[in-house]
Amino acid sequence: MAAQERIVASVVVPFDYTYNYRVGPYLERYIQELGVKKIMAVKCEGCGNVVVPPRKICGECKRVMDEWVEVGPAGTVENYTVGHVTLNKGLAEPADPPVMLALIKLDGATSLLAGEVRRTEPAELKNGLRVKAIFADPAENNLSDLDHFEPAG
Amino acid sequence: MDRKVAIVGQAQTKHSEDTGMPRERMLFELVKGLFGQFGMTRHDIDTFVLCSNDFETGRTISNVFEDTPVGAYMKDETKVEADGAWAVMYAATRILSGIYDTALVVANSLGGSEFRPYLIMDYQLNPTYDRQLALINEPSAAAFQARSYMDKYGMTDAYLDMIAARLLRNAARNPNALRAKADATPEYVAGSEYLYEPLRKLHCYPFTDGACVLLLASGEKAKDLTDSPIWIKGLGDSIESYYLGERELFRSPSARLAAERAYKMAGISDPKGQIDVAEVSAKFTHQEPIICEALGLFPEGSGGEVAEKGLSEIDGDMPVCPSGGALGAYPFSAAGAIRVAECFRQLTGSAGEAQVANAGTAVAHGQDGFCAQHNAVIVLTVEEG
Repeated sequence: MAAQERIVASVVVPFDYTYNYRVGPYLERYIQELGVKKIMAVKCEGCGNVVVPPRKICGECKRVMDEWVEVGPAGTVENYTVGHVTLNKGLAEPADPPVMLALIKLDGATSLLAGEVRRTEPAELKNGLRVKAIFADPAENNLSDLDHFEPAG
Repeated sequence: MDRKVAIVGQAQTKHSEDTGMPRERMLFELVKGLFGQFGMTRHDIDTFVLCSNDFETGRTISNVFEDTPVGAYMKDETKVEADGAWAVMYAATRILSGIYDTALVVANSLGGSEFRPYLIMDYQLNPTYDRQLALINEPSAAAFQARSYMDKYGMTDAYLDMIAARLLRNAARNPNALRAKADATPEYVAGSEYLYEPLRKLHCYPFTDGACVLLLASGEKAKDLTDSPIWIKGLGDSIESYYLGERELFRSPSARLAAERAYKMAGISDPKGQIDVAEVSAKFTHQEPIICEALGLFPEGSGGEVAEKGLSEIDGDMPVCPSGGALGAYPFSAAGAIRVAECFRQLTGSAGEAQVANAGTAVAHGQDGFCAQHNAVIVLTVEEG
């Protein structure tokens, strides 16, 4: 490539933009209730599934779900991972300390909710661990009002 | 079906972390090479099916600047945004429609050098919930799926390492693989760092630049073009729920449905007995047993036993990914097309050191979405039938 030596190998093209998404009435109510430290789910009158975060149509039997029920704030870890990286715009960066993530079955729910678990050690994070939701205080009226989970009791 | 469709040729790049050239040049060279094999020009192609990702290329309608280098300008041309397996399905159904006799599939990604595949996946997340919270990303979701399978069936990390080591050894027999190690051992895999437990770096697909081209033709045309067409006998696809918290991650009902549809079309009633080799898109090591089980190649929950007994080795009962699969290279949009191309290489006896003896029927699989939410299955045979 001596005759065609590269002058510019690549150019960096940033792409910055903002979308305004409507969350819809179900997620809107969910966020409002988080602000008063309540986790609300919807129940399907057909199959009995209790789904959180709430949405309108039951994935199981396709019925409209409109019965609102409070679930949690305690629940049980049903799946977990210890993250040794976090992703920053798709780039893996070391996480120190590691991040503990879990899929949690809140008391009264049938679906699993993803959450971060704090105030325990990675070795203690196991299926069956009882955890409770910790809410942001004061509330900020967004999804992060359910801030994280900690071991219960 | 009255009409028939076959694959008559394939070409792939040498997959890499950085192809070192613009996407357009990569595609031009690759397509020119395939046309050269057949003494064709772009005017011999009735329909072009391109496959690339708008978000990855940073352009709405990613194929706009690909049409020219592949010769699709002023021709019948269309594009698939999902994985390349769907581009193959689309091209096959266009030929089966009776309107076209030849189709060129061109699938590519610069996920190694141009853009980050994990960010592409971030933008598949529900924007009003999961993307807001940033708890779920591609590797963390995959880690949950791995845990689900391993807990359900009592599989240990050591078996994950065995599967990954086998794939890295297979990749060493594939001249196009990006990541390969001829003497890979489970210990070598276990020595790589964790991303999200239990997944280590060598359990996960490498970020890859690469492309794959496939030439498809209708029955008579295929026989004009080659003495050894490989027949597409079955196609199936299926998608399941997006919501990880409502899925049984230890199995893949959508891959099972996709396989059932493809098998029914192909007359496969006993996949274990009738299929000689499989190429599955397992982006993360634990997905190989989940997908193979959904495809009926092994019993449910047998991932550990299959690894221990070497049943999926190139000379095993049911060779899986003799190419090294997604662990050897995973150019995002092209990956499923590459699985089909690797089946083509096997069935034409041109797979070199990775050749499975007497391969007559193969199954290729492609996926898209979180934890393989969307699955495609394609059955290929040597016999016209």
